[in-house]
Amino acid sequence: MNIQNVNHLVHAYKIAPWRVQRQWIGAVLIVAIALAMISAIFLDVSSRTALAGREILSLTAAISTSQKNSGDLQTQLALLTSASVMEQRAQDLGFHAVETADMEYVIVPGYTAPEPKILSSSSLPQLSALSIPPEYNESLFEWLDKKIASSSRGR
Amino acid sequence: MRQQYARRTQLIIAIMGFVAFAIIFQMVRIQNSSQAPDFLGLGDGFQYEWKTVFPDRGEIYDRNGHLLAGNKTVYEVTVDLKNVQSAETIASTLSRELGSDYATVLNQIQNPDPGIVSVTVANSVDQKDGLRLLELTNNDATGDLRGLNFIKHPKRSYPENKLASNVIGYVNGDGLGYFGVEEKYNNILAGNAVPVAVPVDPNKVSEIPHIPNGTTLILTLNRDLQASAEKILDDAVSKYGATRGTIVIMDPQTGELLTMASTRRMDLNQIWDYGSTFDNASDYNPAISVPYEPGSVLKILTMAAALDSGTVTPGTTYMDTGVIYVGGVPIQNWDRNPWGIQDMTGCLQHSLNVCMATLSTSMGATTFYSYMDKFGLGHLTGVDMGGEAAGRLKIPGDGDWYPVDLGTNAFGQGVAVTPIQIMTAASAIANHGNSVTPHVLYATVRHERQYKSDAVFSGSPISAQTADTLNEMLANSLEYEGSMALVDGYRIAGKTGTAQIPGEYESDSTNASFIGWGPVDDPKFMIYVWLERPTASIWGSETAAPVFAQMAQKTILLLNIPPDSVRKQLAQQ
Repeated sequence: MNIQNVNHLVHAYKIAPWRVQRQWIGAVLIVAIALAMISAIFLDVSSRTALAGREILSLTAAISTSQKNSGDLQTQLALLTSASVMEQRAQDLGFHAVETADMEYVIVPGYTAPEPKILSSSSLPQLSALSIPPEYNESLFEWLDKKIASSSRGR
Repeated sequence: MRQQYARRTQLIIAIMGFVAFAIIFQMVRIQNSSQAPDFLGLGDGFQYEWKTVFPDRGEIYDRNGHLLAGNKTVYEVTVDLKNVQSAETIASTLSRELGSDYATVLNQIQNPDPGIVSVTVANSVDQKDGLRLLELTNNDATGDLRGLNFIKHPKRSYPENKLASNVIGYVNGDGLGYFGVEEKYNNILAGNAVPVAVPVDPNKVSEIPHIPNGTTLILTLNRDLQASAEKILDDAVSKYGATRGTIVIMDPQTGELLTMASTRRMDLNQIWDYGSTFDNASDYNPAISVPYEPGSVLKILTMAAALDSGTVTPGTTYMDTGVIYVGGVPIQNWDRNPWGIQDMTGCLQHSLNVCMATLSTSMGATTFYSYMDKFGLGHLTGVDMGGEAAGRLKIPGDGDWYPVDLGTNAFGQGVAVTPIQIMTAASAIANHGNSVTPHVLYATVRHERQYKSDAVFSGSPISAQTADTLNEMLANSLEYEGSMALVDGYRIAGKTGTAQIPGEYESDSTNASFIGWGPVDDPKFMIYVWLERPTASIWGSETAAPVFAQMAQKTILLLNIPPDSVRKQLAQQ
């Protein structure tokens, strides 16, 4: 094949009637593929968000059940250790109530009297829907918007 | 051919375009039609489902973390009438498993009221029984138990049963608190069922409303001290043949109520016993709800007023002739005898009515009633429990006040106060002139954090110097008298009270009282004992005073208060 034949083929391609059609088809396909890719990503993120949402719902329900069970057990424990029960148990074990005459006070340097109970634990995280991180509830567009905003601020 | 295809294509495009246009047109038309809100509402109905959330009512603890009121899960068993296959099987199963009455359940299912689609056949079923019944229903292959539904919800539970029931109060079936702390703090204990719209779309999980549980309360009560007080009180009521009794223990420096016990207590898990336990609402907690004539315990306030106003000093003497006329009415001592020359400590030691009437008349009505007002008589103390009564202090100008009242009020007659009012007033004497507001709330716990309630001072009716002087006089008067209220190793200040009951002045019916606190130099407890109509002895010095001593010994042990000698050694180090 010499150069003349090549020029002939190029010329034939340029004047071919289906060339424009192919270009249109190509362009449409590119747009369609791009849309399909975006849709796929969107679907993937949405499905993951939905799964995470379902998980949060079931975890919230589990927490609620656990809290109620914990309350139940706490009440049962309190019943088993109530003042009357403990006094009876102490008597059954042969103990008797202390009298002032039985007491001998010894001075212990550095001793401090016990304070009333602190029942809370402030180190525990607060359990509420507000603590759900944005990864689990923001949309793709919100994520993109945030990224664009943060990159423009970075410049 | 090609042209024919082109025409067909154009036709298809036109039809599709028309259909698309029609769809868009219809969408726009529907969204702007008058029915649009209905359609939107219908759509929203599928986006959310309504659920009833049962947040737990806040728990109640004593100061050492012992649970006094908690929650347990119970089941409400209902029958969906349209799904019932065998009413007899359901009735017999409930009868066997829960002890329900077979005929009642059968009647509920077979003869419901018109329009009823579901009936509750059992409520407050324990979790264990409920789960067993639920399992039976789930495993029922015959379908005879079809129609049974189980609704789980929390129920108030009181592990200590009767203990501190007068202070705690109770919650009724509708979740409303009655009496005591349950009533006073009902709003913050909350925990009422709330219907909420839960989004079905998991992407809207953040829209799920967060219904917080009720606030947990920590009380100033000491459970073990409360149990001891109730036992000592029950024994005392029985031993002295009293109709009723009350013991209150308060920290006079902070107003924290450590114990509040009264006879007639109900098991808070059996609230239906209320009617058979109490005659009326004020009986629930007499320490705050029942005003009575306290008698001689009020003399400490008269003496405080006389000292603070400069009317007398501890060394002031007077000649007790055994009678004084106030408003033309003779007032005599408790033994109707003259006691000769007495100083002010002697007045307190021998509890002389004539002396007190002399003091009040010397002060004059304006000064005397001004002090009584500052001590809070006739006013609510603000104690944080439901049902407090203000009592009554008549003053000049009132239609039922007579000049003789100035004399009788000075020794606690013709005036009605509650034990908590006397304690609040006396706290000024024990606490260098500052009276405290009695309270039972130590702290609240919400959002995983504990918030402490601080002591609140309600006023300074007398000076610190007067308070310290009177403290010393009261301690000396008990020691000189050899009172049955004394406790070995500890210096105690206090005063007995014996008051005839109004309307029964000629009989032997009395209210026997004692108020005392210790150790005198640094009071850690103030104890009030009130025995109503004791029959073994009518005198407070022979009934209430020994009960005070018994209670004080127990308090000293449980609060770990060393004897005065040990505390002095500690102070010297």
